[in-house]
Amino acid sequence: MESSRDDFVIAIRSAFLKRGTQQRFSLLTLILVSVIFLVLDSFNFKVVNYVNIVIKEIVYRSSFIVSGPENFIKNNYSTIHRHFKLYGENQKNINDLENLKSKDLSQQIITLENIKLKKLIDDYFIVNNEVFAKVLIDNKSTFLRSVILNKGSKNNIKLGMIVLDGMYLVGKIVEVNYITSRVLLISDLNSKIPVTLEPGDTQAIMSGSDDGEGVLQYIKDKNLKKSDKDLLVFTSGTGGVFKGGIPIGTIKNENTSADKDKVVNFYKDFSQLKYVKVLSFSKEQAILDQDSRKEVGLIDDKIKDITKDKETLKILLEQKKIADEIRIKIEEENTTLKSMVIKLKNEKINLEKNLKEQTTTNIAKEFIRLDLLHGKKCKKNLFNNLYKKGSAKYINCVLKKGLKKQ
Amino acid sequence: MNQINNQSLAGGLYRSAPIILLFISVLNEFDFNNLEFKYFSFNFSYILIFYFSLKRNESLGYTYVFIAGLFNDVVMGTPIGISSFSYLLLCGAAAYLRNITLRPSLIKDWVFFLLTILVVNSFYFILLNFFFNHETNFLNQLFNILFTFLLYFFFSYLFTFFDKTILGSYNVR
Repeated sequence: MESSRDDFVIAIRSAFLKRGTQQRFSLLTLILVSVIFLVLDSFNFKVVNYVNIVIKEIVYRSSFIVSGPENFIKNNYSTIHRHFKLYGENQKNINDLENLKSKDLSQQIITLENIKLKKLIDDYFIVNNEVFAKVLIDNKSTFLRSVILNKGSKNNIKLGMIVLDGMYLVGKIVEVNYITSRVLLISDLNSKIPVTLEPGDTQAIMSGSDDGEGVLQYIKDKNLKKSDKDLLVFTSGTGGVFKGGIPIGTIKNENTSADKDKVVNFYKDFSQLKYVKVLSFSKEQAILDQDSRKEVGLIDDKIKDITKDKETLKILLEQKKIADEIRIKIEEENTTLKSMVIKLKNEKINLEKNLKEQTTTNIAKEFIRLDLLHGKKCKKNLFNNLYKKGSAKYINCVLKKGLKKQ
Repeated sequence: MNQINNQSLAGGLYRSAPIILLFISVLNEFDFNNLEFKYFSFNFSYILIFYFSLKRNESLGYTYVFIAGLFNDVVMGTPIGISSFSYLLLCGAAAYLRNITLRPSLIKDWVFFLLTILVVNSFYFILLNFFFNHETNFLNQLFNILFTFLLYFFFSYLFTFFDKTILGSYNVR
């Protein structure tokens, strides 16, 4: 028993304290260094933070280089895949473009009205810092869903700035280094965002999930407003971290009952991020000053102009619709008339044929009648030298009622 | 002379292959820990470190493992030092097993690997959850441990095959 314990102690000591032939430090020393790192990191010790930043700068760049071949293959695959889908997408895009064009003017009016109303209630935010950044590393850790950007404090990136892809929310900056920064994606478990659901104006907190989707928290047992369409999810602006009204995703209408998880399908696929926009917002001054009033006046004028354009467009569209209807009607009439002309032509041909037949019949009848009466005057016999019966001259002679004296 | 240089370069590469592989797996964006499959994921670094600490410990310096851990923390966004700690615990467990083993057996290594990753991951999750307030999905982690354990067998065969057939000739030299 004693010797077995001794063996154990010797084996452990040898494993953790003995340095190998090419080992500079023993295992225990390095484990202790790791623990010291961990403890100092948990207390935000400055020196560790600096070491941390230096390692990060090196690692992010190295990781970008090491991931080069893999990204090259991935990008090529994605390019080929996109080429195969090009035709279908083009057709879809043409259709979408037609629809969007017609919606665009209405949206412009609504946006301007929205700005005007927000200014009136002193809730209008303007972008005061905007930076475009490239996604350097997109590492999907099981513990943290985040991406690394190639811009840092050197480019005025600050903690808490909002990150957008197009107009859709992607996440916020949680770590800023000198030339890089880390974005915590909204699909991460630790991300908690105050959101509003429309229609219904329901307030909730959205968190990320392991499946890369969003899940609504703190309204679990509530039925959401029934709607035929999917529910839209926006930032609510509560708490002041995010500006209100930034689109996030949708909740399918079948998931709105109390017994189901409210899963938010994001508008953006976070695994495909390439370039993002990093923004910070600030509140605009109250509307009481002269400049703001002028601006509101300008917006009003703009709204009027766009409304006018919209009306004109509406009229033109109506006219086009009427013209289209008339064209279709004329085309239909044209087709009917063409078929009637063909029919009449056929009838005419038939009638002409009948007429010809009738004339022939009449001549034959007349010949038979005259042949009985005047056949003798034309028929050839022993005593005269007239025409042979049935010959053309005979027929002619009968129809002329015999030979006429000169 | 040229041949000698070539041999030493290839031999050096062979000896450093595990550490190069470890650094690539840590720095690369492609992560076996997150394969976009529901539940299926495994920790390739754990398998690599445990296998080579056990079978060819001269190729895997503890300092390099420590640095690889720091890099992994930075890439993954976990608190700095936590991966180094886990990796070094794995190295320690492998060294202990090497010391007490007289007749190596893959099945014994395999079972010991399971016990080791259970202990190491327990430390990992305790530190993450209680000291750093990181939320984690335990079901996913459980599957990760399970697949890491199962795939150790496969990778063990693969590494042995490479050692013996393709690269083994350098041992003779």
